[in-house]
Amino acid sequence: MRHFVTVGIFVILMTILTYVGLSASGLMPVEASEQARSIDWLWDIQVKAIAFLFSLIVVPLIYSLVVFRRRRGDTTDAEHIEGNTRLEIAWTVLPLVAVLALAYVGAYSLAEVRRVDANAMVIKVTGIQWAWKFEYPEQGITSTELYLPVSRQVVLKMESPDVIHSFWVPEFRIKQDVVPGRVTEYRVTPTLIGNYKVRCAELCGTSHAYMESPVIVVDQAAFDAWISEQQRLAAALDTPEKRGEALAANNACAACHTVTGAESIGPTWLGLFGSEVSLADGTTITADDAYLEESILNPTAKVVEGFAPSMPPFPFTTEEVADIIAYIKTLQ
Amino acid sequence: MKKLNPVLRGLLFMLVGGSAGFALGLVIALAATGQADPAGSVPAVFAWFLGATAFFYGLSGYGPAARGLVWQVVGTLAGALFVTLLRLVMGLDEIFGSFLFSEPAWVFGALVGVLSFIAGSRIADDWWKWAKGISTPEHDEDPADWRKYLGVSLDHKVIGIQYTMIALLLLAIGGTFALIFRTELAASQLQFLTAEFKLFNQNGLQIYNSLMSLHGMLMIISILLGVSGIMNYVVPLLIGAQDMAFPRLNAFAVWIAVPAAVLLLASLLLGGFDTGWTGYPPLSARAPVGIQMFFLGVFTAGWSSILGSLNIIATIVRLRARGMTAWRMPIFVWASMATSIIALTATQLIGLSFQLVMFQRLLGMGFFDATRGGNPVLFQHLFWFYSHPAVYVFVLPGLGVISELLPVFVRKPLYGYRFVAVSSLGIALVGFLVWAHHMFTSGMNEYLRVPFMYSTLLVAVPTGVKFFSWVATIWKGKIETPTPMLFVLGGIIVFLLGGLTGPPNATVSVDLHLHDTYFIVGHFHDTIFGGFVFPFFAALYYWFPKATGRRMNETLGKIHFWLMTPSFLFLTFGMMRIGLLGMRRRIADYDPALGLDTTHLLMTVAGYLIALSVLVFFFNFFRSITKGEKAAGNVWNSRSPEWLVPSPMPAHNYAVPFEVVGEPYDYGLPGSRFVEFSKAKHPEAH
Amino acid sequence: MPHLQDKAAIFRLGVTIFVYLAVLTGLEYFVAVTFASVLFLIVIALVKAALVAYYYMHISRLNAEHEGEPESHGYRTGTMRLGLWLFLLSDSFVFGGLMVARVNLLGMTRPELNQLLGLLVTGILLASSFFMNRGETAMEHGDRKSFLANTTLTLLLGVLFLVGVVGLEWPMAIHAGVKPDSGAPGAIFFMMTGMHALHVTTGVIFLFIVLGNGRKGLYTSEKHWAVEAAAVYWHFVDLVWIFFYPALYLIGRIA
Repeated sequence: MRHFVTVGIFVILMTILTYVGLSASGLMPVEASEQARSIDWLWDIQVKAIAFLFSLIVVPLIYSLVVFRRRRGDTTDAEHIEGNTRLEIAWTVLPLVAVLALAYVGAYSLAEVRRVDANAMVIKVTGIQWAWKFEYPEQGITSTELYLPVSRQVVLKMESPDVIHSFWVPEFRIKQDVVPGRVTEYRVTPTLIGNYKVRCAELCGTSHAYMESPVIVVDQAAFDAWISEQQRLAAALDTPEKRGEALAANNACAACHTVTGAESIGPTWLGLFGSEVSLADGTTITADDAYLEESILNPTAKVVEGFAPSMPPFPFTTEEVADIIAYIKTLQ
Repeated sequence: MKKLNPVLRGLLFMLVGGSAGFALGLVIALAATGQADPAGSVPAVFAWFLGATAFFYGLSGYGPAARGLVWQVVGTLAGALFVTLLRLVMGLDEIFGSFLFSEPAWVFGALVGVLSFIAGSRIADDWWKWAKGISTPEHDEDPADWRKYLGVSLDHKVIGIQYTMIALLLLAIGGTFALIFRTELAASQLQFLTAEFKLFNQNGLQIYNSLMSLHGMLMIISILLGVSGIMNYVVPLLIGAQDMAFPRLNAFAVWIAVPAAVLLLASLLLGGFDTGWTGYPPLSARAPVGIQMFFLGVFTAGWSSILGSLNIIATIVRLRARGMTAWRMPIFVWASMATSIIALTATQLIGLSFQLVMFQRLLGMGFFDATRGGNPVLFQHLFWFYSHPAVYVFVLPGLGVISELLPVFVRKPLYGYRFVAVSSLGIALVGFLVWAHHMFTSGMNEYLRVPFMYSTLLVAVPTGVKFFSWVATIWKGKIETPTPMLFVLGGIIVFLLGGLTGPPNATVSVDLHLHDTYFIVGHFHDTIFGGFVFPFFAALYYWFPKATGRRMNETLGKIHFWLMTPSFLFLTFGMMRIGLLGMRRRIADYDPALGLDTTHLLMTVAGYLIALSVLVFFFNFFRSITKGEKAAGNVWNSRSPEWLVPSPMPAHNYAVPFEVVGEPYDYGLPGSRFVEFSKAKHPEAH
Repeated sequence: MPHLQDKAAIFRLGVTIFVYLAVLTGLEYFVAVTFASVLFLIVIALVKAALVAYYYMHISRLNAEHEGEPESHGYRTGTMRLGLWLFLLSDSFVFGGLMVARVNLLGMTRPELNQLLGLLVTGILLASSFFMNRGETAMEHGDRKSFLANTTLTLLLGVLFLVGVVGLEWPMAIHAGVKPDSGAPGAIFFMMTGMHALHVTTGVIFLFIVLGNGRKGLYTSEKHWAVEAAAVYWHFVDLVWIFFYPALYLIGRIA
């Protein structure tokens, strides 16, 4: 009996110590969204459960190793205890009830996380190898940074033209894959003004590690100001070359094509226009407007020698293609 | 040359053969494409093919291994050339490229290579004879010395050891890959796997992806082979059988792992692949040709798993000793049964899912290509339908080892034996119903998430039964802690951590944060080490005397344990911590602003310490085979029948068959016996 | 038990089962072209499968008593029987996975295929099972001539099936625009029929081997495990087609 009492006391002590220790060590990043609140609440319950169950098993284990060690010279067996059916049923049924309860709580937490605000602002997100592009259809601008107003739900409608990516801001907690061929949804209500990063959370190839973009949460006034500024900048793109440069920036062309002449995943744009290009099939071609246009809309039609045929097609409009080509022409 | 230690001779031959292959590859690349990159794929692949073959030739002459590999290399090249010629005749472009052959040529070549290996090593020889109407003797006799382990033996004990050796080799290679990328991860920014670093037609970042992907798959194959090794060695001994139900199938299943390993390692050299071991399309549909070698390697290894588990099930059902009713089977036999049911059935699905990607690449069959009416998420369903139950294949045997060994070292019955026996089957059954918990963020149908959360949390129930039973077994026992017991206890604690970090992943909302972070990596390293690695070492230390008649060194064993365990715990705590704070999986480099550099550095140190502990183990293991303290009797004072006959285990196990007359774990019951050896000689004994 | 029953009676039973299978296939087709109930088609397929599994594959032999002492030939054969069925269990997961892929990608649509040819090859495969059953029964009763004749017919019908599917249906499908790379219907059609055809081919090879050894007189009524194994494997291949046929030809609207 005294064994049980001692173990019981130590289990309680260890549970408390473990839980307090874990919580104090700052396990999670700062909570920056409403969804994070629900998730952290459930997480905290689970840390408590982990602390308890860990202690429940480890304390008797270590206690036994100390107290029930075989005495030197004792070659006899221990007491012949085979089991106790009632106890075994109990330790099957009680955990069953516990996990069902946890699952129920989990469903509740998920429902909280998925709460829909019909007035959520729509932002279109594109994940491409290896950058993020953000379009604000309600405001008519495109950006490589995700600006969000605090305390307002936004719904990100996400697409990918190439491979599976995943949108994750650790401080927001939630994560959603971006899957080619469909539009996936990500709803978040930021609650803390600050600078964060969206980090691609599904292995998407060579530069997956670097597929991170700024996420900036500001108050409504600052957000409106930013929108106005972006609209002004977009309107100031009055030449094809400027528009082309902006398109290249927004669509992460630099992830594979440098403008400095340096080698990268794809051919450099410096001096590209008008140059002689050796193709993988052995032929040589002049990089003229037609070639550049084809390379954007149907990249694997003509692959340059020494490079992999890994560029996805970019469905730009005719105007956009012309703008980009105009920009490329400036890189001599 | 003959006087030289065979392993050294093998390594020397490997050096020579590898160099010759390297030179040959350069010449062939130059002739076919006009270019020869020493750091490229072609010389490397030839170096690997010829080097691996030469190693076995040096080790044991022109035996099944060397012969099989020679045929595999020849077959691969012949098959590739055949398709290349076909393409030439068909007027296709790109006959030769930076990987020498085109992708279809490599795929066909690799397939022909595997079939050629089977022919050359003669592991299907008896069946070939049966097809021609020639009968064959039941058992061949093996050579008396270590050479039998390099031959095609039908003896389950030899096969079990062969499985274990290949498993340990792949463990070492997979672990080395981990050390390489852990070294890169020790500090943020790229130190040596940079964009400028070029090897095997990959830059540093791509090499990282290939090494990380192969670390995963090599370890998985190592685990599958390791569990096959223990089950094959131990199950017939525990049930009183002479051998497995299908000895030839057994030999085939172990040997087929060799060409599988050759292909898997070739994948690194043929441009690698950047998808992780999970091979998700669309990325895998766009990966370099290395991924086809990966797919085929896994496919081939899958045959080993499927055929091996078929054998285990048939053996347990049909070859048990008289009196061994279900409720008197040793607990490890229950565990083996549950494991094998999973491996027999679910494995086909990873084969299928990979096969569909292979054909999407080869013939444009758009299964997972949204632009051709395909569904990328379908792959994940098919893939995880195997790959989740697979983790129970990894851990159920080890959990069975824990249950089997505890009574011996605490001198007390296994508490609640029947519940524990059924819990293995319970885990196997529920394990089939949880796969989509790997897909909570995948974009699959919303309504699937909650049911899979429920089913996933349910697995905790039979798992909990085991933990409570273990504690109750140890409680009030008379405990001794030699090395096997240390690893059993370590396994319990580490698996506990793995299991307790499961529910956060199971609850969907929390998983949205945890998925694809190092928290998951920490979780599965804990479950795998606790459920397989620790019990695997326990089993090796425990049954080593049975196999060799000698003990492994206790002091070195304790050093192995006490070096490995704290390092490993630190490693996985570190993984979980950084994952929670924002460290994603499968990245070669990480944001310095996360402030995780110090933790990463310490984790890398921990990794090296684990590697050191494994080296200690290898030293102890191989040295003890010839120089270990002699231990011919019942070293652990176990009631189990295999310990009641001399060590090393006689060739056909039990010359005198036994009958089961009591319960397996009746320690402490005066006058009780588990088995009794009958007076009559075993009918099949020689 | 086979030896206790009269060979002629078992032959008659084989004919009866074949008639049931043929009628059910006709019913299947009728249902598909009239009220097209998926549930009905699934039930019919399950009934056909049960008939083949019980009466042709003799699945109940797995539960056999009176096999003899553990070292006897009879016991050994029982172990091999278990091994074979475990293999088939494993293999059925491949086909199950393909069905899952078909349902996921095609849903309630199906590729446009030649219905007459589909019905014909299905009939050919069912007939081949009929003859296989006769051949195996003959061997069980020591009638080598009948075994050889019936098994040869099985093999020929198997080859005819392959001609029908690979030689005719495939080119016709490609010509009609259902190609491996023309989208999901084509990909699914070719992968499903391709994997099935691969198994038919290995079945044909197995039968060829068994015929060869049978002609050499290697099998007796007491010892003919290879014949039983070849037969059970052959029926399995037919069993798979019992599900693949409605899945590809009958269920759903044209894509």
